[in-house]
Amino acid sequence: MTKLQKVNKGEVFLIDDDAAVRRGVAALLTAADYTVSIFTSGEEFLSEMGSLDIDDAALLVDVCMPGIQGLELQEKLNRDGVDLPVIVMTAHGDIPMAVRAMRNGAVDFLEKPFTVDEVTTSLERAHAISRPVIKGAQKASPELCKNYDSLTPRESEVLRNVVDGSTNKEIARSLDVSPRTIEVHRQNMMSKMNAKSFAELVRMAVALDIGD
Amino acid sequence: MTENTLEELDGSFANQILETVDTLVVILNRHGEIVFFNRACQLLTGFNAGEALGRKVWDFLILDEEIDAVRGAFEALNAENTPSHFINYWKTKDGAPRIIEWSNNTLKDEDGAIAYILGTGVDITESKSKEAALYESKSFLRAIVGASPVAIITSNEKGTILSFSRKAEAIFGFKENEALGQNLTLIIPEPDRLRHDQYLNHYLETGERRIMGKARQVTAVKKSGERFPVVIHVNEFHDGVRVFVGFIEDLSEQKVTERRLEDVKNQLQHIGRIGAMGEIAATIAHELNQPLTAAASLAGAVSLTLRKVEFPQRDDAISHLNETVSEIRRASEIIRQMRDFMRKRKTAKSLHDVNHVVEEAIAIALIGAEAGGVHVTTDLGANVGEASLDRIQIQQVVINLIRNSIDAMQDAEKKHLAISTAKKSRFIEIKISDTGHGLSDDVKKRLFEPFFTTKEEGMGIGLSISKSIIDAHQGEITAIEKESPGVIFSIKLPVGGHDKAAKSQ
Ligand SMILES: Nc1ncnc2c1ncn2[C@@H]1O[C@H](COP(=O)(O)OP(=O)(O)OP(=O)(O)O)[C@@H](O)[C@H]1O
Ligand SMILES: [Mg+2]
Repeated sequence: MTKLQKVNKGEVFLIDDDAAVRRGVAALLTAADYTVSIFTSGEEFLSEMGSLDIDDAALLVDVCMPGIQGLELQEKLNRDGVDLPVIVMTAHGDIPMAVRAMRNGAVDFLEKPFTVDEVTTSLERAHAISRPVIKGAQKASPELCKNYDSLTPRESEVLRNVVDGSTNKEIARSLDVSPRTIEVHRQNMMSKMNAKSFAELVRMAVALDIGD
Repeated sequence: MTENTLEELDGSFANQILETVDTLVVILNRHGEIVFFNRACQLLTGFNAGEALGRKVWDFLILDEEIDAVRGAFEALNAENTPSHFINYWKTKDGAPRIIEWSNNTLKDEDGAIAYILGTGVDITESKSKEAALYESKSFLRAIVGASPVAIITSNEKGTILSFSRKAEAIFGFKENEALGQNLTLIIPEPDRLRHDQYLNHYLETGERRIMGKARQVTAVKKSGERFPVVIHVNEFHDGVRVFVGFIEDLSEQKVTERRLEDVKNQLQHIGRIGAMGEIAATIAHELNQPLTAAASLAGAVSLTLRKVEFPQRDDAISHLNETVSEIRRASEIIRQMRDFMRKRKTAKSLHDVNHVVEEAIAIALIGAEAGGVHVTTDLGANVGEASLDRIQIQQVVINLIRNSIDAMQDAEKKHLAISTAKKSRFIEIKISDTGHGLSDDVKKRLFEPFFTTKEEGMGIGLSISKSIIDAHQGEITAIEKESPGVIFSIKLPVGGHDKAAKSQ
């Protein structure tokens, strides 16, 4: 473990198996006034966790790593009752994993590569969120339910497919319409749901218990 | 000359001859009345000349059912003046039918107009019944020819069709009576049509065999004009005269099956390639995305740092860095699109007969793959039945495994590939067993890793694709070591597509 800087914004435990990613993200978070502790694997984090002060900290973990994976780590922390907000980092196509992480109570997920704003917004959420943040904690608000009910059957089908990680092309094939049509449904659905990003949409879907 | 007799013949030398020959000689006038009825006719029929002369033949000599035909033949002769052959019955005075083969001609008057019809006939009653007996003995043979699944056509030396079996009728669309008497060129398309006569003549002259005795694949033509592939086997035999017999098999159905296999193979190769590319694209996308993430984060870090200090071009520098990040994101997006584009298609499962799917895969895997001395045995369980699966994908897996086995046995002394299917309580198992070099410990560990290969020309993706396909079917794929050299690969597919059924054996 390497400790870089201690400022007021809180602590971040960063776990990624790629050295360049670790260095880059740590530099970014440090510049954004977070204290960063770096781990190269889930195993390393678990072995040092006993000596860490996890109050006021957040975990930023890659979902796809050799050895113990981001999701497994999150599930283990849940089982052990470790109260630590989790943000998962995903690469392309890990949408189903991201959804699972969200369902397991992750605060957010970030698609690599991310911008300063995206990562700081997520971390602010993580640090601000009232604890405990465990499985199923986020309940759908009445407004969210209302938005969801306003979707046409096609739009809700598209929503379900999108959060399952299907591409427009795949959804088009399975519903037997053109990808262009799906694109339109998707935009309408996003605006009816009032979701400004894909991550937000996934968060809503998890709260609504949509998808698998 | 009177209407009733032919006076010129009376008492003449010619008359005496006509009276003494065994041949039946009868002369009719233009009305069909008998004007001459020789002794042979009288002996045969029992009517004397007095009883016959002046009467029309069809009034007393012809069987009722043949009257129309005989009158027709008479009128045709009367009008057209062409000699004709005719076989019909005459009935004798005591009613017995005799079969007579007639040769008819016309006799003309001084002006060249037809004056008389001359019929010379031979009583063939006895020989006809002999033929009938012959026919009987041949009917057994005919029955066999008729039942033959191969078309059988016989012809004489000139290529004239002598017989045309039922299967020939079915294949070519000609009825037997349309084909009989025609030349074989009837069923031979251009340009072979011309050559056929040349071949035949060449063979007859030189005895040199070109197609005789050998099976050849040629194109034939149907009545509809449609051309189609056949295998023809020609032989000759002697039955008094030289007869050629051709055994002909329609290949179009076989061709269709072959073409279908070829199609499936191409389709599989295509999907295999796409599958492989999907795998490669996903790996590359992931590998490239990591440095892009690092770069974007570093640029973000610098931009944040710059916000904390003051210098003249600071805002420009920050906006350049933001631009850097968005360009990096664009690169990442392009990679994502490439990856999505090459992404493996989703599994499309439906119920399939597992044995059938496996059999087809075996056929495909063994096409082209130089099985070089590999002994293949299959043991497909009788009660295996259906499973919910993506046919193309499962065949892809079976083919990958068979190819791997064949590769592994390349240098083996004993090359035995055994493929079996069996139904267990909760799953269907497909096993592919070989006698190849087997798996070392290191290989065993890395078997299903993408890009792991020990082959010079291998990509190392066969098994990793297979595993992802079987995973998508909630099944299991494992390598089992054998006592003797070789490996068994086992695929377990859940029965009826129940989730995880394969795992809870
Ligand atoms: N039946 C087998 N017997 C022995 N070794 C095998 C057998 N099947 C697979 N292997 C080993 O596993 C490796 C990986 O197999 P895989 O099918 O994934 O790739 P490949 O056959 O090498 O290349 P590709 O299938 O992409 O053409 C092989 O290179 C071989 O070493
Ligand atoms: Mg292979």
